[in-house]
Amino acid sequence: MNEQSGAGAALQTNFTRAAGLSHAPMPLAPYRSAAFFELERAQIFERAWLMLARVEELAAPGDFVVKSVPTCGKSIIISHGKDGGIRAFHNSCSHRGSEVVSLRAGHAARFVCPYHRWTYGTEGQLLGVPDEASFFDIDKKTCGLKPVACEVWEGWVFINLQREPEVSLAAFLGPFAAHLQGLHYQAADHPVVLSATLEANWKVVADAFIETYHIPVIHPQTIGTTFSSRANPFARLIDATILGAHRAVSMYGNPDFRFDETHFVHNIAYSAAATGSVIAAATKEGAVNFLDHPAVNPVRSGSWSMDVNHLFPHTHIDCGPGGFWTHQFWPVAPNRCHYEVRFYVPKAESAHERFQQELYIGRVVEIVLEDLSNVARTQRGIDGGGQEFMQLQDSEIGIRHALEQVMKWVEAPTVAQALA
Amino acid sequence: MTGASRQLPAGFAELQRFTGLWAGETTNARIAARSSSDMPTIREFYDAAVPRLAEALAYCAQFPLLEMPAEAANLYRLMLGLAQATIAVEIHGQPRAPGTPWPNSIVLEQGAVPFG
Repeated sequence: MNEQSGAGAALQTNFTRAAGLSHAPMPLAPYRSAAFFELERAQIFERAWLMLARVEELAAPGDFVVKSVPTCGKSIIISHGKDGGIRAFHNSCSHRGSEVVSLRAGHAARFVCPYHRWTYGTEGQLLGVPDEASFFDIDKKTCGLKPVACEVWEGWVFINLQREPEVSLAAFLGPFAAHLQGLHYQAADHPVVLSATLEANWKVVADAFIETYHIPVIHPQTIGTTFSSRANPFARLIDATILGAHRAVSMYGNPDFRFDETHFVHNIAYSAAATGSVIAAATKEGAVNFLDHPAVNPVRSGSWSMDVNHLFPHTHIDCGPGGFWTHQFWPVAPNRCHYEVRFYVPKAESAHERFQQELYIGRVVEIVLEDLSNVARTQRGIDGGGQEFMQLQDSEIGIRHALEQVMKWVEAPTVAQALA
Repeated sequence: MTGASRQLPAGFAELQRFTGLWAGETTNARIAARSSSDMPTIREFYDAAVPRLAEALAYCAQFPLLEMPAEAANLYRLMLGLAQATIAVEIHGQPRAPGTPWPNSIVLEQGAVPFG
């Protein structure tokens, strides 16, 4: 635990040593090597439980979503069956393999392949084959949509691409589950979703969102003065916790941050719903249950901006004063990834609230745009090959632990050994 | 939709000429208006619209957010366009964050309800 010392003095931290991690420089080869990228695909993304959706996206029986797993070239149907179960299937017809569902989400009594109209139920079973008599002893019971292992934890829907997952979702989550158990995910049915293709290794992007060392430099106008102050000019972390393969860090917030009088429209927008942070869109009142959770601002600091809960391998569940949001970083190539951020904001009930959200979304797009340029520059530098190692400081513990875990999974012959 | 069909309520006529660019149907369209405009264009709209912002929001607040009559909705989307112009004027002093590209690969896949 680290508390801020007196005003003007730097916040002292000791996270890396306290967690028993090494202090050594960390290798950069995993950020540019094509061979390492292939190992990540096979050893991590084809073995780990991967978060794909929230249950609110398919709230009623008959609701479905189709998600792509670009790292592994998969299209996955997640279906809320008529029997109430949530299941995942490969989006591929048992006839000749064609993609069955081309919508990204919807509600349907059955799935009909557009090629020859083979028809499946919401539980994946094959219901109908046109001109069935012309086939040869077809066993319809074994010709349903091919299932993908699927489990739900706290409203998060996970899949596992192993035919028989080596470990359960609970075993995979380990202490991460207890850390976030019971968190009230407010406005979970109303995400604002941004995506981008970034010219950077997926870890370069994930790293950028789990350290605040860069914020005063890269985001001076958008959020720099929210995350740093004279008391903590380099935006050092206020907490860090290792949670098995996963981790959580808690970030500093400047309690004195205010929009000055030149921010005329900002002051009109935020006057009725002060949240203490420009990264938040919801009101403080609506967030009380959420903020009471022990994993939200875990050290109960008066100088807190947000927490990053990094769910291995590629998902951040972030919590701030106004609610939660997620980042996902899907590897596509050694130097390219698909990035998606989902900000869960309450549905606006007034003209004033929706106006505030437009301003908020506009700022978020700018922050992502600043990061987009930064990660491409980082990747070009890494790809040049002039550096073999990176030097990581104490507030970059999230990067160090993430890379250690990636390297461990890549080398481990079994998932049990990767988690040991 | 063309600017001509984005009729504003009586009393906001001096803002009518800005609707073609700034009263876009979606947040993506309004971000594009800011990102592809030069500062004099953004500033002209901001300076004209800011003095009417509080009044415009009060006018629109007479109606349920999801059931605004067309003229109120046009005015409201114009004010959402002002939120975008504000990013340029009050944050960056230029249309986009310094050193960032336009167009770029960022896509707003799903916006806020309504007009997102």
